[in-house]
Amino acid sequence: MAQQSSGLAADTAMTPKSTPTPQTRPFENIVPVAVVVALLIAAMQVGSYFLPPFVMPAPKAIFSATIEILHTEYRHIAITALRLLVATLFAMSFGVLLGIIMGMFPRIRPYLQSLVVIDTGIPALSWMLLAIFWFSQPEVRIFFILSVILVPFYALNVYDGIRALPRDWVDMIESFRPTRQHVLRYLILPHIVPYILTTTKAVIGYAVRMAIFAELVASAVGIGSRMSLAQSMFRIDQVLGWTVILVIANLLLQASINGIEKLLLKWRPEAEVR
Amino acid sequence: MNADPIIRLDDVSKAYGAFTVAEHLNLEVRRGEIVALLGQTGAGKSTILNMIMGTQPASSGSVRVIGHDPFAEFDKLRGKLAVSFQTDRLLPWRTAVENAELGLLILGLSKREARSRAATWLKRVRLEGADDKYVHELSGGMKQRVSLARALCVDPELVLLDESFSQLDHVTSQALRRDFAQVVREYHKTCLFVTHRIDDALEMADRVIVLAPGAGIALEETITPENRSDEAWLSRLHDRIADVMGGEEEDAPSA
Repeated sequence: MAQQSSGLAADTAMTPKSTPTPQTRPFENIVPVAVVVALLIAAMQVGSYFLPPFVMPAPKAIFSATIEILHTEYRHIAITALRLLVATLFAMSFGVLLGIIMGMFPRIRPYLQSLVVIDTGIPALSWMLLAIFWFSQPEVRIFFILSVILVPFYALNVYDGIRALPRDWVDMIESFRPTRQHVLRYLILPHIVPYILTTTKAVIGYAVRMAIFAELVASAVGIGSRMSLAQSMFRIDQVLGWTVILVIANLLLQASINGIEKLLLKWRPEAEVR
Repeated sequence: MNADPIIRLDDVSKAYGAFTVAEHLNLEVRRGEIVALLGQTGAGKSTILNMIMGTQPASSGSVRVIGHDPFAEFDKLRGKLAVSFQTDRLLPWRTAVENAELGLLILGLSKREARSRAATWLKRVRLEGADDKYVHELSGGMKQRVSLARALCVDPELVLLDESFSQLDHVTSQALRRDFAQVVREYHKTCLFVTHRIDDALEMADRVIVLAPGAGIALEETITPENRSDEAWLSRLHDRIADVMGGEEEDAPSA
């Protein structure tokens, strides 16, 4: 027994030093962001001295316009946010499904892959114009536009994730004689979570821009349409106010996704390269 | 000991195109035996293991494992056969106990029952207190213990080990081999293990089979409890095996 204990001691003695738990360092990014924002505000302030207000309003006017928007236009912000949420969730679900089918069904793969690749080659503007022709409801138009733009990102990245699945893991799970559902549940789905999160982080900013653009051409409500209205009324302070709101919203979205990532990928050690 | 062969290879040949890996091979592993399969690189050890696992078919001849053709009747061996590989192959998003319970969940056990059995087996392979650790928090030896628990806790009739101890340092490997052999004997499992290390084979096996490329089984010897305590006998057997293997005993993984 003493011998056995020494064996275990040898085992545990080699336990890796606990990897530092991913830590949130709240001030790590705030300082550089604050410096950049301060420089931009200063540049705008200087610009406002030399340029007419309809070209470069003072930061104070932009700030007032932002507050005004937040007080009076919150309904449009909510509408855009909801459109974005619904379309992104749908694109994520459908794209992941397509990626899984491409990864698990080799016979169907070439057809789906061709479809997805063709989709990626179609410009966003073409989809927007086609949506206006094809659908009369603005909600359907925007949902369609965002979906067809975002689905390929998820499908291709999830497919790539399945391709990157280590053969060793597949052999290991197959040694238990699993069903296809078991392989999907215990191996493929957990393995593709990081790919889904990375795709979401990569496309969310693009999705916001596309949603605004789609609202600009295909809807009478939402941030895009309000920005168009502000532009037609020569309210550059409001255009810049909306821009400030969108930048802040994008930062909040990225922070939310990072939070979800830390929660879902808590098993992943943080690697640091010196 | 029941004399029924749990593994039976009759006149089995395996070729990849023009390259023959195994030719007219006959091999039996009886219930309750621990058999070591040794051989040079390219002798076909891994190929034989793959045919027994059912991941590859034989080119000719018959492979029967627990009365089934493991390739043609792949699903019929569910829960009857388990494998521990050279590398731990643990899933990094699952904790130690979640990795250990994987086979049980595939067998359809409830989450609660699977968790309880997996935790018990982690204790049996002497890995207490590590249930909730993620893979990156475990040492190499601990990972391999989880891998063995994962294989054993489905209560298989047959356990296959593919160089399972070869990537560990000598001390860890020895401790793990000893613990594993003890558990296998205590629970009356049958075990076929592939190894490069002659010492591993002599320490654990009831019978050693040495393969030579193109020659099939070049040496087969039963190790009785009496022989195991006879150092001179073991030393002679070690030398005979080393001669057959052409002095190729090594720590490197097999092909």
